[in-house]
Amino acid sequence: MRPVLLGLALGGIAGCEGTIHDPERPGGPGTPGGPGPTVVEKPARSVRMARLTHAQWSSTVKELLRLDAPPTALAEGFRADPAQSGFLFDNDARALSVDEALWGAYQRAAAELAGQVTTSAAKLARILPASTASAEERARAFVESFGLRAHRRPLTSEEVEGYLALYRKGPQAYADMPAFEGGIRLVLEAFLQSPHFLYRVERSTEARQERVPLDDYEVASRLSYGLWGAMPDDALFTAASEGTLHSREGVATQARRMLQDARAKHVVEAFHRTLFDVPRYATIRPSPTRFPEVTQRFPEYAARENTLFVQDVVFARQGRYSDLLTSPSTFVNDELARVYGLSGTFTADFVPVTLNSRERKGVLTQVGFLASHATSADPDPIHRGVFLSERILCRKIGAPPANIPPLPAPAGRTNREVVASHTEAPGTACASCHSNLINPLGFPFENFDAIGRYRTTDNGHPVNASASPLIGDDNVQVRDALDLADALAEDASVHACYARHWVEYLHGRPFAEEDGPLVERLGKLSKEGGLSIVDLVVEVVTSEGFVNRHPEELP
Amino acid sequence: MKLSRRLMLKGVGGAMLGLPLLESLMPRVAHAADSGALPYAIFFRQGNGVAAAQNTSELGAEPERFWPRTLGALTAESLSGRALGVLTEHRSRLLVVRNINMRDYNYGDGHARGALQGMTARGPVVEGAGGGSEAAGESLDHRIGRVLNPQQRDSLFFYAGRRGGWLGGPCISYRSSGVRKAALHDPWAAYQTMIGGPGGLTPEAREQLLVRQRSVNDLVKAQLQQLQKRPELSSSDRQRLDLHLSNVRDLEVALSCRMRADQELLLQQQAPGYDSTMGDEVLATAKLHMDIAVLAVACGTTRAAVIQVGNGNDGDTRYRDPTTNQLMENFHYVSHRRTSHDSSGGIITGSDLLHHQVDLQFASAFKYLLDRLAAYQMPDGKRLIEHGVSVWYNDLGNGPAHSARNIPYVLAGSCNGFLKQGVYVEASGGGNPNHNRLLNTIGSAVGLRNAAGGNLDDFGDPALPKGVLSELIA
Repeated sequence: MRPVLLGLALGGIAGCEGTIHDPERPGGPGTPGGPGPTVVEKPARSVRMARLTHAQWSSTVKELLRLDAPPTALAEGFRADPAQSGFLFDNDARALSVDEALWGAYQRAAAELAGQVTTSAAKLARILPASTASAEERARAFVESFGLRAHRRPLTSEEVEGYLALYRKGPQAYADMPAFEGGIRLVLEAFLQSPHFLYRVERSTEARQERVPLDDYEVASRLSYGLWGAMPDDALFTAASEGTLHSREGVATQARRMLQDARAKHVVEAFHRTLFDVPRYATIRPSPTRFPEVTQRFPEYAARENTLFVQDVVFARQGRYSDLLTSPSTFVNDELARVYGLSGTFTADFVPVTLNSRERKGVLTQVGFLASHATSADPDPIHRGVFLSERILCRKIGAPPANIPPLPAPAGRTNREVVASHTEAPGTACASCHSNLINPLGFPFENFDAIGRYRTTDNGHPVNASASPLIGDDNVQVRDALDLADALAEDASVHACYARHWVEYLHGRPFAEEDGPLVERLGKLSKEGGLSIVDLVVEVVTSEGFVNRHPEELP
Repeated sequence: MKLSRRLMLKGVGGAMLGLPLLESLMPRVAHAADSGALPYAIFFRQGNGVAAAQNTSELGAEPERFWPRTLGALTAESLSGRALGVLTEHRSRLLVVRNINMRDYNYGDGHARGALQGMTARGPVVEGAGGGSEAAGESLDHRIGRVLNPQQRDSLFFYAGRRGGWLGGPCISYRSSGVRKAALHDPWAAYQTMIGGPGGLTPEAREQLLVRQRSVNDLVKAQLQQLQKRPELSSSDRQRLDLHLSNVRDLEVALSCRMRADQELLLQQQAPGYDSTMGDEVLATAKLHMDIAVLAVACGTTRAAVIQVGNGNDGDTRYRDPTTNQLMENFHYVSHRRTSHDSSGGIITGSDLLHHQVDLQFASAFKYLLDRLAAYQMPDGKRLIEHGVSVWYNDLGNGPAHSARNIPYVLAGSCNGFLKQGVYVEASGGGNPNHNRLLNTIGSAVGLRNAAGGNLDDFGDPALPKGVLSELIA
């Protein structure tokens, strides 16, 4: 067994420094939840050019062209971005490039979209300014107004002239179209291929007090892509043009408005889908002979439950992270109701229920997590434990060695006994990781079988779900998964880990040392009950790191 | 009149792709290709090892089902009863190499070690990172592309199988240390990438498109160049901008290399099943990728293509057992002989035979590639298969032990006489790592050279002994 990497959860946050703040910028002292007098929250290094993810591209095109629906089919034709090792989410800006395949797809999509819009008077009218004296003047007005939205900032006069020069080539480029529409079509194609559209470009360079304040349009884009995965709307552009994103209050006001929008629900859903590894649910394949009560659609139902649960906690209940970890309320259809052992009449429709609180509480006791961390026949405490360590505690577990001998046959023993005998033999390399870090986080779930059904016996023996997992700096004695859920919800480092995931997701970059003070502060507030998940997100986007750049770039 | 290379291409036996018909669309660079046969390499990657002779704790002694029976000349007899027997009719063009050993780098996972080292001959960026690993260097297909391809176009990197999964899905092709290439997944999108524009256009429409695109490209290039001038950009930003800018170019060459309209339609209709866990669909997708790769090397638009089947441990694909017509457990389980991605699941009865069945299906897919290449007759009278080398290789020597030794390498085509043919040879080096020297040999065969103008000998980890495997060279 290789050495385990420890101490990543709150790396770099132990030290306190003197306070340096800019009262003109968000995140200063005296704000709710603001840093104390001896803690500095600072921006971390980031790239200056973050290409839109495919989902962001699709949402942005819908807004920009004021389409009725996003051009999903076009975006699905884009080659997938490569995975970036060690980064959980799909928006690490370092891995988002434009290669030949994607450039070609952008070209084809631009031509298709420009054709759709300019050959439909109704669609074109949605993005054109009012008629003016001449077609040229109208084209200029279009370039300026549309350009602001496409580049997400006002165009320079040189840029306006560049697009107008292209407009004038319209009659030759599209000889079979009216000259004005042909020109606009070519201009639209260019806007959709412009690097200022395809990337979020941050151009601010003037450093003040060890940070580079972003201009209002750059803040608007960070907000909209962070909270909506889409371009700023008209209200956000107005706020930027009026300079109201220069204060914490202005940013917070916009953030709270945006978090009430349906677009924010998609972002929150996508974040938790990744955090809880919901795509893994698709691999759930219980043995049909052992578990005839579940159908092939069980993985799909489990994923649906997770989505409904998260949306309910975050938005309907304005809940906290603790609620995700400990709430027995969820949503089920008839098949899930059977697995959960609920009495009553259920149909194919999902309905809210409260599960037996003596058996379950929170997302980790729902069937999706449990069944996706199981073999086809038995629960898998090892991978349940690894998941908790890495995703819930931000404690990385080193990869196991190759050629691990197989688990021995049960021979009348419980699943736990088999795993323990195989991985915890005193003096072995395996024991160093499994005994202390992995198994104690997995064994509390032994009350749940391979499909997540509650059980009190295993192979004829009473289930032993007690353990003493390392949570934060302490080993905490728990009787079962219910105790474990409570212990997790009561530990600040667990909440800090959750905040850390949000920081990484909203910034599109890995956690950095500079994020430490913010993450620690949010962890404490979240644990103490002072922050709902919505509040936590608002804290991140109003923080020093979100509205400023580090003076140096991410290499 | 000088005829273009592509107009001279002839299909044999009716199994051929459409060829460009209009001489007027032939760019000069394509004519340049006529003067000589340009060697290429097409790599076809299988994961999880093969059903070779081995002792496993699950099933005991498993017999040899993959390698030829004897070293030396390949005969119908030496291939009979083995997975390679599927390739018997191509045996005169095969070079089967045993004793290719990878270095046992500490990737923290055998699949990561094999998959990420396979095309790069490099260790990990960070040791012991397991499923979060990255290779610390460029892959050979990318080197061939950036050095030998017209306009330095990217090599073609295809991925067949369900997206995501172990090692993030597509994981074998690298631009540089820690920087993966994105894969072409959807065959229709891959085809359009290869031809450099939308499919289904008339020649006149393509001409108009090129004129319009040139105008837009000029504006986009100017914007990208302005951004490049900004001194505050990081090296990461700059690299991505450079890559972007390098692709904003006119692609008349590629636009004239395409399938016939009816074949384009067929490809478009077949393509949607690509994101699949069903082995039949996954390998059907790989064959569509092969169609595109063959057309690309025939036209000279690329000198390197690599087709990855399944993610880092091909852990999502379920191949079909022809004896029962049922889907097997996923290939990773089968290769472990157990119903789990590690050693915790129950033993799969007969999984050694199932692994062999998977090997046979990969062999059949490789044969499909060779059949396609052999169907093209080139202006010099040879078949396209002779001009290049096609490589069917694996990440591992076997499944349960995840061995880094005796990695299967089956080469087909001599690269215009550079490589030996029709033999089963043992690579030199004893039990030491020599996989990097195999990649150097293939790179040399395709035309890569070292700084002194000799055979490529320094590709991969500089800490490994340099050189080629001369016993593979004719």
